[in-house]
Amino acid sequence: MKPRIFAFVAILAFVAFLVGPLSTPVRAADDVITFGAAVSLTGSLAKEGHLTQEGYDFWKDWTNAHGGMRVAGKTYKVDIKYYDDESSPQTAARLVEKLVDQDKVNFILGPYGSGSTFSAAAVAERKKVPMVEGNGAAEKIFNQGYRYTFGVLSPAKRYLEGIVEMAKAQHPAAKTLAVTASNDLFSVEVAQGVADYAKAHGVDVVYFAKYPENSTDVSAVVSAIKAAHPDIILNAGHTNDALLVHKGLKEQNVQALAYGYSVGPDTPDFRAALGRDADYVFGAAQWSDAVKYKGDKGFIASAAQYAAEFQKRYGHVPDYHNAESTAACLAFQYAMARAGSLDPEKVRDALAKLDVTTFFGILKFDDRGLNVFKPMVVNQIQNDNLVTVWPTDLAQAHVMWPTPLWANR
Amino acid sequence: MQLFFQDLVNGILTGGILALVALGFSLVYGIMNIINLAHGAFIMLGAYITFQLFSSLHLDPFLSIPIAFVALFILGWIIQRYVINYVVRAPILTTFLLTFGLALLLVNVILLIWTGDTRSVTTSYSGANFDIGGITVPVVKLMTLIVALTIAAVAQTWLVATKMGRAVRATSMDVGAAQLTGVRVGQIYAIVYALSAGLAGAAGSLISVSYAFSPASADSFLIKGFIVCVLGGLGSVQGAVVGGLVYGIVETFASQYIGTGYADAVALVVLLVILIFRPSGILGKATA
Repeated sequence: MKPRIFAFVAILAFVAFLVGPLSTPVRAADDVITFGAAVSLTGSLAKEGHLTQEGYDFWKDWTNAHGGMRVAGKTYKVDIKYYDDESSPQTAARLVEKLVDQDKVNFILGPYGSGSTFSAAAVAERKKVPMVEGNGAAEKIFNQGYRYTFGVLSPAKRYLEGIVEMAKAQHPAAKTLAVTASNDLFSVEVAQGVADYAKAHGVDVVYFAKYPENSTDVSAVVSAIKAAHPDIILNAGHTNDALLVHKGLKEQNVQALAYGYSVGPDTPDFRAALGRDADYVFGAAQWSDAVKYKGDKGFIASAAQYAAEFQKRYGHVPDYHNAESTAACLAFQYAMARAGSLDPEKVRDALAKLDVTTFFGILKFDDRGLNVFKPMVVNQIQNDNLVTVWPTDLAQAHVMWPTPLWANR
Repeated sequence: MQLFFQDLVNGILTGGILALVALGFSLVYGIMNIINLAHGAFIMLGAYITFQLFSSLHLDPFLSIPIAFVALFILGWIIQRYVINYVVRAPILTTFLLTFGLALLLVNVILLIWTGDTRSVTTSYSGANFDIGGITVPVVKLMTLIVALTIAAVAQTWLVATKMGRAVRATSMDVGAAQLTGVRVGQIYAIVYALSAGLAGAAGSLISVSYAFSPASADSFLIKGFIVCVLGGLGSVQGAVVGGLVYGIVETFASQYIGTGYADAVALVVLLVILIFRPSGILGKATA
């Protein structure tokens, strides 16, 4: 009996295999524009990958609920086809290829993280399909001479500059800096960028180190930071790194005027994991709901309204990963409207010439496809709340300075 | 000099947790000859159990160690009895694939239940430390080391002093001979696998307090456990403890004095060198 059931299942599977490709949609069924995205839904970047997906879906649902997109007088619904790249750049490249070749998507939305974005960009280039990404800030992506990749983010090297600029302006002013980085594409650029900025602006870099990606223990790095006695301690990495380093700094009683992280303080799990130890921490952010841009017509115009509608939909306030992902979709929306066409080449040209203001900030690309026109903001966790403190014209609260001793909290 | 001793302390403290991570892995590898790729997932389950008990019931993470141990012990027993048992004598590639599949399954179940968020258990005494001659000793990691070594000592006593423990050791030496003397090998395997999972659960509890973790951390800890148990010598408690401490210290010193980027590389070179001179690990029995 058993072998027969097995044979039956095998035949079924074979039939499904034959029929499968026929049932997948062909390119742009008349009134739908399909985007494809390989985002990290499992693996080490699953958290950020989910935030990316929420940002994309928010735009999709908003657009479809408001009558869809109008391109050259015709109305289209939008749809996004997702795959899980398992936090692996190699997988991301393979999936983007599949999205273009098999799923026949019109355009590509970027994956999460510089590593995956870097490999996806190569595929987009080869297939000549425009990709707009909001989650890969490493400049290396944009220094390949690619024509089809556009990033809405401020570049990686500028991530932590704001914290140094802010720390210099406080009393007592910070004079020395220690920077550590997880040895990945994005984090190393962030760390190098802020170190260069500090040197150029009279802040001594007293310690600089890269440690292996996905480290589970950073105690040696922490004791070296302690020995260097810096005023500012910055880490470039992802949420996991921020938690490890911050816990380590407290454990080894390392005192500084300011502690800052490239990724982490912005995400709710950073505060959830650290409790009150998260207070006073600075974080760099591509965006916060305090920014005061007035967006062009076609989408939610203000950051505050975006935050309110987003919270209604997902039950949590949007962090910058959500916003930058939505912004990537917006770049396509405005470019398509301007191109008056879905032709990949025409949309690419419209993206290259794009100059719009959105709730996220200005969307405009230099000739490498990088958005060097948008500034970053600095957030601080104050009494368990994330508030924007820098630049001062966007600040929701005064900087709490200096960070008190661990023993006095 | 102060930095040197600080690193030594850090290395030993890190090594303690690594020893516990490796202990369960080493028992299954040494006694059942199964490279249990699900071990990292077991550790994560332990960490998430502790995290859940802490966040919803405010149970102190150290008190949840027995709970994580028992929960994982039972899970391990079931998995051995109803899954692994069918392939326990199969070629190594079969068990390799099976445990790899188990690992994928467990990690994705964890992802479904607890999402991919990075977690850490932060108690009121997290980060507390004391100072000895300028060297800072973190209290939680010290407690972790003490608990890890205590668990290892209990496991060792059980193996040496109890009838069941002797049966386990007999099985690891010679399955056939053990069977001839009346040892029920199937039962021994179930106990060993369950114990290994339980130890992973306890290790997970301790990791949740000292470190940050997400479902993806399973791989990092699995690889560390693998290296440590090969380093120390398979299938013995002392091997795991010595391997863990050596690895922790080497990694910390390499990071400090050779370059933070080379910590893993140096640790692996040390492993290689030790394996050249002692192919069965530092405390491993010489093989015929």
